[in-house]
Order: sequence, then structure tokens, then C-alpha cells
Amino acid sequence: MTITVKKVSLERTAADQVFLPAILRGLVTTARHFFKNTLTKGMGDVDTIRYGEPGVNVEDYYPERFRGVHRLMHREDGSVRCVACMCCSTVCPARCIYIKAEDRGDDEEKAPASFVIDELKCVVCGFCVEACPCDAIRMDTKMHMEPTQTRAEAVLGKIDLMKRGGQSVAVQGGIGPDYREDAPKADPRFEHDRR
Amino acid sequence: MRALFDLFRYARPLALLLAPWLLFACAAEAPPPGEAPPIDVRAEPSALRFDPQTKTVEVSIVNHGTRPVPVSGFRIVGNDWSSFSIVEPLNPRMVQPGRPMRFSIAVEADTFKGPEHAIESIVVDPEALRADDENHDHDDDDAYRDGDAILAFDVAGVEHTATLSFEDPSWWWTVALPGVLKVHLLVLGFILPLASLLLWQERKQSAMMQDRLGPNMARITLGGLTIRLWGLLHIVTDGLKMFFKEDFVPRRAHRALYTLAPIMALVPALVVFAIVPFGDALCYDSLLDVVSQADVDQCAAGRGGTPLQIAKIDVGLLFYFAIASLATWGATLAGWASYNKWAILGALRASAQMISYEVAIGLTIVGALLVYGTLEPHALVHAQLDSAWGIVLQPVAFVLFFTAAIAETKRAPFDLPEGESEIVGYFIEYSGMRFGLFFLSEFIEIVFVSALVTTLFLGGWAMPLGMFGASGFAAPWVAQAFFTVAGAAVMATGFAVWRASTHATFVGGAMAMVGALHIGAAVYSLFTGWGTELPHVAVVLVGMLTWGLKVFALCWVQLLIRWTLPRFRYDQLMSLGWKNLLPLSLANIVITAVVVYALAAARTITPEPVEPEPPGLGSIPDRAPIGAPPSVEPKAAP
Repeated sequence: MTITVKKVSLERTAADQVFLPAILRGLVTTARHFFKNTLTKGMGDVDTIRYGEPGVNVEDYYPERFRGVHRLMHREDGSVRCVACMCCSTVCPARCIYIKAEDRGDDEEKAPASFVIDELKCVVCGFCVEACPCDAIRMDTKMHMEPTQTRAEAVLGKIDLMKRGGQSVAVQGGIGPDYREDAPKADPRFEHDRR
Repeated sequence: MRALFDLFRYARPLALLLAPWLLFACAAEAPPPGEAPPIDVRAEPSALRFDPQTKTVEVSIVNHGTRPVPVSGFRIVGNDWSSFSIVEPLNPRMVQPGRPMRFSIAVEADTFKGPEHAIESIVVDPEALRADDENHDHDDDDAYRDGDAILAFDVAGVEHTATLSFEDPSWWWTVALPGVLKVHLLVLGFILPLASLLLWQERKQSAMMQDRLGPNMARITLGGLTIRLWGLLHIVTDGLKMFFKEDFVPRRAHRALYTLAPIMALVPALVVFAIVPFGDALCYDSLLDVVSQADVDQCAAGRGGTPLQIAKIDVGLLFYFAIASLATWGATLAGWASYNKWAILGALRASAQMISYEVAIGLTIVGALLVYGTLEPHALVHAQLDSAWGIVLQPVAFVLFFTAAIAETKRAPFDLPEGESEIVGYFIEYSGMRFGLFFLSEFIEIVFVSALVTTLFLGGWAMPLGMFGASGFAAPWVAQAFFTVAGAAVMATGFAVWRASTHATFVGGAMAMVGALHIGAAVYSLFTGWGTELPHVAVVLVGMLTWGLKVFALCWVQLLIRWTLPRFRYDQLMSLGWKNLLPLSLANIVITAVVVYALAAARTITPEPVEPEPPGLGSIPDRAPIGAPPSVEPKAAP
């Protein structure tokens, strides 16, 4: 097989120089789209997701790994899973996570005395979730940060973050869900977590 | 194809609904068969109107029948018969179909001067005369009184008449009041609604062209009913937003000019509409009658009616050039007064661009002026109707003018004064409704460009090919063809909209019903020959509707162009204006002038054959025409 060089003529023809034929072709193309989208059922080629329309469930359109607003997961006794290791606040490129540690009281682990995320600063990169060693922080709520009246309302504390939280199937220490027969069932809202 | 299918699917119930009405109408109006073609000879205009400025009025005797008819016995009778006179003596003659007989009638305006009672009788009693003279208000002595007479003539022995009337109407009734009404009708009834609609249409149409949704979220909820109308309510929300935003003035701006600039942009854009005719003319007295073109022409001259044009001035298009150039002041002043370097760059570009395109826009029109021989838009439209539309006779001028006019509106692909990506534009510092005025004037200019192109190149208010005249459609079959085609198109579009839309299906349904009514009208015309004689008010409305549709279609095309073409670089823009448009328009002028001159010369060399005056009709009993010398029969030599 021989390699040939295809030569493209770059000379401008008379039709190119007066613009008009090309302009007319362009107008025909856009006009075709216009009429197709206005006069055919289902709006032709328009693929826009009708976010916020009644009857449209946005979650249907979000990918599995969509990063929404943060939540903090619970232990079996309902306390926060976080051990205040500072991994998330260290990795955070926006520096929007502020943690104060305290003694948990069981002689084993720390716990956050306060856990604050400034959602206005957050760049929704998901590094905090990647960095967390004990599945304490997640962004799988499929919710956007709601608009707020004041900046202070957009700064979420531990209580706010735990409201959306649920029990994690992970066992503290990272051994895995099959470690024990009576592993707690996951929140049915987050079916895909089981995998 | 689906639309056609739906047409048939829904046409059957509609036809069943319409059928009884149609059958009734046809039975009522069908002409009895086997009758000789009727004699239909009319004087046009049927009511001749005179005023102190109009000394003579031309009148034509037109034969609308199919065979030649003898016309004789011209005479003037009635109250003020002595004040009117036929200019030239008229012999009885046969009037052929399509060859009207023309003559003029003159009026002695001075005989209508002075108090009315002075003419009624000679006052014999000197005391009464003096008392009357003292009581009389002498300020009225120069005023004219009204007068009327009747022009009568015999058509095949049957008397026909036309009325003659003289009046001196006040300025208020002929100029001021109709002027105010026309301004409100055009500005509040057409321009501002269409401009605001374009605010929405630009966003929606661009979305539809680019496979997006566009604005659709503004809504009103009344109880359980949500009204959205494809986002049309965004017009309201945009307006509210503009009004309630902060009205910001930069600290070092020139406050007076900064405030003046948006007004300077808006006012010329509105004022230029004064010269655009949006219809032929409205006759006050004969709204429900069938009138001829001659009647309408009389009304267009301001006698007994008013032209549907705010200012019918002879320098019409020069007025447009003068005022449209002022619109640049808005952009330039805004840029300079803002004290902002991006704004002043935009202003400089705006002024440079306007100068370049103003020249081209003026020269492109000259070709059309050479062909039609007038600067007055109303006369220009009539000249197009007499020959052919401007787009046929001057296609090059059409393209050049449209290009230059789009450049004049400062929109893509010529939106150099704005340019979101580099300099924001001459209005960068403006906010709130001040910015809204710039925005609105831009859309008003779009409407104006469409209106002007319609007037100059697309025959104004007239339908194509002379199919619709002053008294209705040219022939019954034209009416049938028009209603069939238009009805099918409207119905198909209506069904398509109906099916395509998930809400507000009533719009599609209403369109389908309108289309069905068109089809019904076509069928009705097929049986009765209806459509050639429509009431004057209907003809005027159809003319205004035609004009509006043409303007709207051109607005659509302008938006299509704006969202299709990429913008020019600044030097490309200048070279297009000075190196392409200007030479081309000059060449257009030269070629047009040569052709017009050659055609005129050819006409002079071979003049049109003049039809010889037909001989007098001896068989018809005839009176001597008024003002004619007594006819002398040539005596045979002894």
C-alpha cells in the first residue's frame, strides 16, 4: 500500500469571494434546525434536560459518581464516624473544611468537636471523599447546595452535615462488610452503596 | 407528511361544521344562469372631493363589463352646479373595457367664499342688509362654505352619477387628529409590541436554531392553571428586572450627556417611522362601501380621508437619512460620557461604522430612486405596484441595502461596537432602564430596517403580482387560489404546532380553525364569485396585515442572519463597507441609469400608438356637452 498525499486546493472561487452562496447555505442549515425544533413533536433535536420541571426526576439523569452536597456518616450508635484525622481538610484544595478534634472518650479514637464546611468555598472536587480513611464524609447525596439568603447559612456544621447522613456499611477499621453476619443494612435511598 | 395527514383527519369534522353555512350562503348568492353580461360602468372616483388647494380633479369613466358601452350626456346638476365645470368638451363615445375615458373637473373655489346667506338671495331691504352686516361676524368672510353637486352621464341611456363636493376642512381634522391617531396606532399598536416580542424572539429563535430550549421558565399560576406560553412572559420579567435594577452612574461620568445618550438612541429610531406607509389610505365616509383605487388616491391626498403614513413628505427618504444618522449620536455620546476606555472604544467603532455604511446605504437606494422616480415612500410603493417590486427590478440594490442596513443596526455580523469578548460595548457602564432603552432601540431599529426594506423592495402593503387591489381580489379565481393555498399552509402549521407542543395547544388549534375558515372562504368564492368587491375597511385591514406580515418575516430573517453568521474583524468590516459595498452600489447606479435612459429613449423614438377618438354616436340621443361650442354639422356642398 502506497501512501499518497491528498492535495487540497485552497484557491478561493468566485462563489467564495462574494460570500453569498455560503451565507445562504448557512441560513438554510439554521432555518432547517429552527423549523425542525419548532414544528415536530418532542422538539426535534433539543436534548435539554428539563431540570426543575414538574414530573422530571433529576436524579434519573445524574451519573452514579455525581458529587453533590456533603454529608457525614453515622456509626451504629448514631454518633459521627469521623475520627478527626484531618485528612480531608489537608487535601482540600479550597481549604474549606475546618475541624476541631476532641477526645471521643472510648480511649481509642478522636472525634470532631466541630466539623465545618464552607460550601461557598467548596469547589466540589471530591478529594475529601477520596482521602477519608473511614467512609465518614461522602458527596453522594445527589443534591445541589441550596441557595441561601446569607453567606452564614451556606457554612454547614456537624449537625447539618449529619442530618443527611446514614449508617455506613463499612466497619470501622476498614475490614469490609462481610466481616460480621449482623452488618447493618444500608439506607435504601443509597442502594448503589452496597457494591 | 404527517401534517397533511392531520389536515385530512381534522378537515372532515371542520367541513361538516362549515357545510350548512356554506350551502346556505351559496344558495343565497348564486347568480341566476343564462343572463347577459351586465353593464358595469362607473365613474372613478365615485365621489369627487375638492378643497381650496385642489382646483381640478381627474375622473375616469371605467367599463368593468365585457363589451363596449356608449357613454354620453355629461352634465353637472345639483345645488352648486354653477361652481363646477368640465374642463374639456366631451363628445359621446364608446368606452371599451380596460380603456377608461379620462377628463377633469374644475371648481371655482372663490364662489364658496363668504357667508352662505349672501348667495342665497339678493337682499332687497337696505335696512335688513345693514342689520345683517352688523350682526355678521366678519372674521368668517374669508372662510369657505361647503358645496356639492352631481356629475351625471348616460350609459346606454341609463343615468349614472358621481358626487362632487367642496369643503375647506380645518387643520385639526385633516392633519392633527389623524396624525395623533396614526402615531399611536403605529407606535403603540405595532412597533413597541413587535420590538418587545423581538426581545423574547431573539432568545427563543436562537435557542431553536441551536437545539436548545431557550427561555421557558417565566410563568403565572392562577389557581391550578399555569400559564407559560413558551416563555413569552419573559418579556414581562425582563421589563420588571430593567426597571428595578440599580440605576448606576459612574462617578466621573458626564451626568447630563450620560442621561441624554439613551434618549438620543431611542428617539431617532422611533421618529424615522414617520415616513413608512403601513397601508394605502383610509376613507372616512366609505368604510363599508366598495371603493376604487381612484377614491383611495383621493383619500391619500388628504381629501375625505388620510394616508396610512404618519408624515407624507416629498423628501421622505432624505428625512430618513437625516434622522437615522442621528441615532449614532446615542452610541457616541454614551461611550464618551461614560468615562470608560472600553466604552469610548465602542463609541469610536460605532461612529466609524456608521459613517462607512451611511454612504453605502444612501447610494444603494439611488438605483431604486432612478427606476421609480420619487423619494416619497407612499408614491414609491405605488410606483412598484404599477411596474414591479424593487426586489425584481433592483436585486443587487436589495442585497446591498439589506447588508448595509443590518450594519446600521449594529448587530452581528457587524456588532463591532459591542463585542462581549473584547470591549463590552459603548453601554458598558449603563444599567437598569437606561440600558433597557439602548436595548429597546436596537430592536426598534430591526423593525425599522424591515419596514424600510418592505417599502422600498417588497411592495409595501400590497400582495404580490397585483392580486389584491383597492376593491378586493383581482378576480374570483385569484381569491380562491389565495384562500386555498393560505388556508392549507395555516392549517398545516396549526396542526404541526398542536402536535409539537405539550402545552398551549389552543394556539395550534386556533391556527387550524383560521386555516379552515380560509378554505371555507375559498369554497364560498368558488360558488358565488365572492372576493372581488370587499368593503373598504376590510381592504385596509388586509393591507395593514400584509405589511405587518412582511415586516415580521424580515425581522425573522434578520434574527436568522444574526445567529448564523460569525462576526467580522474590524478591518474586514471597514473593507467590506468601503471596498465592496460602495463600488458595487456605484456600479449599480451607473448601470441602472444607463438602462433607464435607454428605455426612455426607446420610448421616445417609438411612441405608443394613440387610439383615435371614436366617432360620435349618431344613434344615441345626446345633449350638447356643457361648455362645448355648439356643434356645427358640416354642410354638404350645394
